Amino acid sequence: MTEEDSIFDPQLKKKKKKKKNFDLDAALADGNSNDGTERSETATDKENLEPPQNDVDGDADENLDLDSFGKKKKKKKKPLNLEELEATLPEGTNKIGAPTEGGDEEIEDFDLDMDFSMTKKKKKKKKDLDELVAEEEKERADEKDLENESQKWVGSDRDYTYDELLTRVFGIMRDKNPEMVAGKKAKFVMRPPQVVRIGTKKTSFANFTEICKTLHRAQKHLLDFLLSELGTSGSVDGNSQLIIKGRFQQKQIENVLRRYIKEYVTCHTCRSPDTILQKDTRLFFLQCETCGSRCSVASIKSGFQAVTGKRAAIRAKTA
Amino acid sequence: MSIQNLNTFDPFADAIKGSDDDVQDGLVHIRIQQRNGRKTLTTVQGLSSDYDLKKIVRACKKEFACNGTVIDHQEYGEVLQLQGDQRENICQWLTKTGLAKPDQLKVHGF
Repeated sequence: MTEEDSIFDPQLKKKKKKKKNFDLDAALADGNSNDGTERSETATDKENLEPPQNDVDGDADENLDLDSFGKKKKKKKKPLNLEELEATLPEGTNKIGAPTEGGDEEIEDFDLDMDFSMTKKKKKKKKDLDELVAEEEKERADEKDLENESQKWVGSDRDYTYDELLTRVFGIMRDKNPEMVAGKKAKFVMRPPQVVRIGTKKTSFANFTEICKTLHRAQKHLLDFLLSELGTSGSVDGNSQLIIKGRFQQKQIENVLRRYIKEYVTCHTCRSPDTILQKDTRLFFLQCETCGSRCSVASIKSGFQAVTGKRAAIRAKTA
Repeated sequence: MSIQNLNTFDPFADAIKGSDDDVQDGLVHIRIQQRNGRKTLTTVQGLSSDYDLKKIVRACKKEFACNGTVIDHQEYGEVLQLQGDQRENICQWLTKTGLAKPDQLKVHGF
């Protein structure tokens, strides 16, 4: 449960970040390969913090993060980020889709879409930026506190507290096996769905394709699921946004998405989001990349649909 | 604490128990559909045909203070249809009356 719950949960994200920063120190001390990735990550963070003159580049970075969130291969991320730091702005945007290995066929289609939607994202990004800054600062403050506390007793004679020991043991654990840390850090952070009402009767799900990409699922599959769950009709329009008939709020869509992720994205055995959905003799199978388990998932059925429209219209259509 | 190995364990206990007092098998799908404006419909599909759906709907109508019908669908059998968002209500009611177990209920929709 915890993982599904955490997907949209900013709290948890924060916590994980904290851990990660801790690890940075540990890794620096250790001098192993891991610290390169960490450093590059902090670099990107800093870049995000930087005011708009670097906007496009920052944007690109963010997208990249999004792409690789599902995976735990931090190492792969490192060179990419570095590349991007060096690259000039427009090049950065072109690279977004390229480095992922997951979405394979979809990528070509999406690349184009992404470019179109760039302008829209910029606006939104500024808001994110502020939040990010605030969050970051808070984290750093927390960080220092914790850090100091955990080290306090080392020199002194006094008794250690439980928390100090806990941080210490976790620090050691991370030092000793970086792979586990990588596993821990395979956070699955998603952008919340952007849901806007169009007129009174329709709802637009603006970042639908983006979310499909994050989840590494075919658009059609998610579309089928959403529509059958919501019991309505809808389609993807030219701006790669999903138009759904009926009024829906972001929270509601989020709920449905969460259910989708639980059923079709996270591995049923180890809950890792690093999975592939395959179709095999009319059945969908979820193959986990982490633990190698393979299990069938429920097929999408819309089930009974009550008549909600005008009966006269239906009669006219059939007759 | 007792030693587990020494306990007599009947592996078929579940099966035997399941067969006699469990009429409902399979999932009960509870869905919601939007109508015009802020109005909604709740449909309950997959209730066992051994139950008298008409009686169920009568009880539900009274309990939830809403209208409802039983619709006969050629593919899905008899489907309960209630006015308004009764997902919570129907879930609680079905478990309370013992018509279905909580793990047999599957709620769809937002």
